[in-house]
Amino acid sequence: MKFYVYCLSDELSGESVEGPTGVGGAAVRLVSVGGADSVVAVLSEFAGERVPLTRENLLAHNRVNAHVLARATPLPFRFGTLADAARLSAYVAANETALAEGFALVRGCVEMGVKVRLDEGAKAGVETSAVNVEAVSDEAAGVGRGTAFLLAKRREILGGEALKARAEEAAARVAACVGGVARESDVRLSPEGPIVVRASHLVAREDVADYRARARDLGAGLAGMHVLASGPWPPYSFSTFSPV
Amino acid sequence: MADKALGILDEDEELSLLETLDHVLDRGLVIAGEVTIAVADIDLIYLGLNLLLGSVESVNRTLGTRERRMELLSAGARRGGETRVAVETDEGAGDSAAEG
Repeated sequence: MKFYVYCLSDELSGESVEGPTGVGGAAVRLVSVGGADSVVAVLSEFAGERVPLTRENLLAHNRVNAHVLARATPLPFRFGTLADAARLSAYVAANETALAEGFALVRGCVEMGVKVRLDEGAKAGVETSAVNVEAVSDEAAGVGRGTAFLLAKRREILGGEALKARAEEAAARVAACVGGVARESDVRLSPEGPIVVRASHLVAREDVADYRARARDLGAGLAGMHVLASGPWPPYSFSTFSPV
Repeated sequence: MADKALGILDEDEELSLLETLDHVLDRGLVIAGEVTIAVADIDLIYLGLNLLLGSVESVNRTLGTRERRMELLSAGARRGGETRVAVETDEGAGDSAAEG
């Protein structure tokens, strides 16, 4: 029989997870999967070979993990993880050390997140401010197609560098503002995208309120950018390692 | 997503969905092996040892360019006879690229 697997925990042994329904409306339960620290898996029965990527299933996946998070900090699985009991036990046995390190890392913490979105107007301003547009236009006037192409490329490169610098500046502000209360950070930059900074932080539960306050201050201090703070989340961003 | 006990932000449902999508699609533990996700009864995402799943930016970050991505997808389909598709979610706009 296959199970939909939500997360692993080394703190829920002997407990139950009554409450939320899982993917497909299935009942959620705990199953011991071994390991030196009495690791349990939170799972539900699943009929089928593929998990439909639907709104309901996505929310069910996170609903169960959030329910577990209210009691203890689990190591959540990626959406769509199916396994039978033997496979799950083999996975836990083969990755015992990495899982133990993972449990130790996230214990007592939750994941908080900050995203920084660059306003479209501000983005255009960054791109053009890096280049003297009039000078480029003057340069381009009356030149051949090859020269015009190279001038356009130069403008593109300079604009890209300016966007990258802006994203790095925003990331530095994020680190300075909310990074101080984070045990671990996972920061991803996308200078060209609408979301220039995606930062996930592992934060001690008692520091969540402080994190939120700092995130509000961050939002107030970044001109031309919007800041979206979210959480607490199960530590999805800190449950990633290369499995054996 | 809202969990009153933890004080999880009960924001707009769409925003919650997008945030959830962003968190659960390409992060979290992965069991070495296979995970297959279906969209509208069509195999859209095949996750094997070489994971290929995520948001537009995740995919772009991983593979560099759309051309490179489609090249790999095509090669994968030829090798395994599988339909491999990267579901793209540009901040939730359910864009998808399919390769048969």
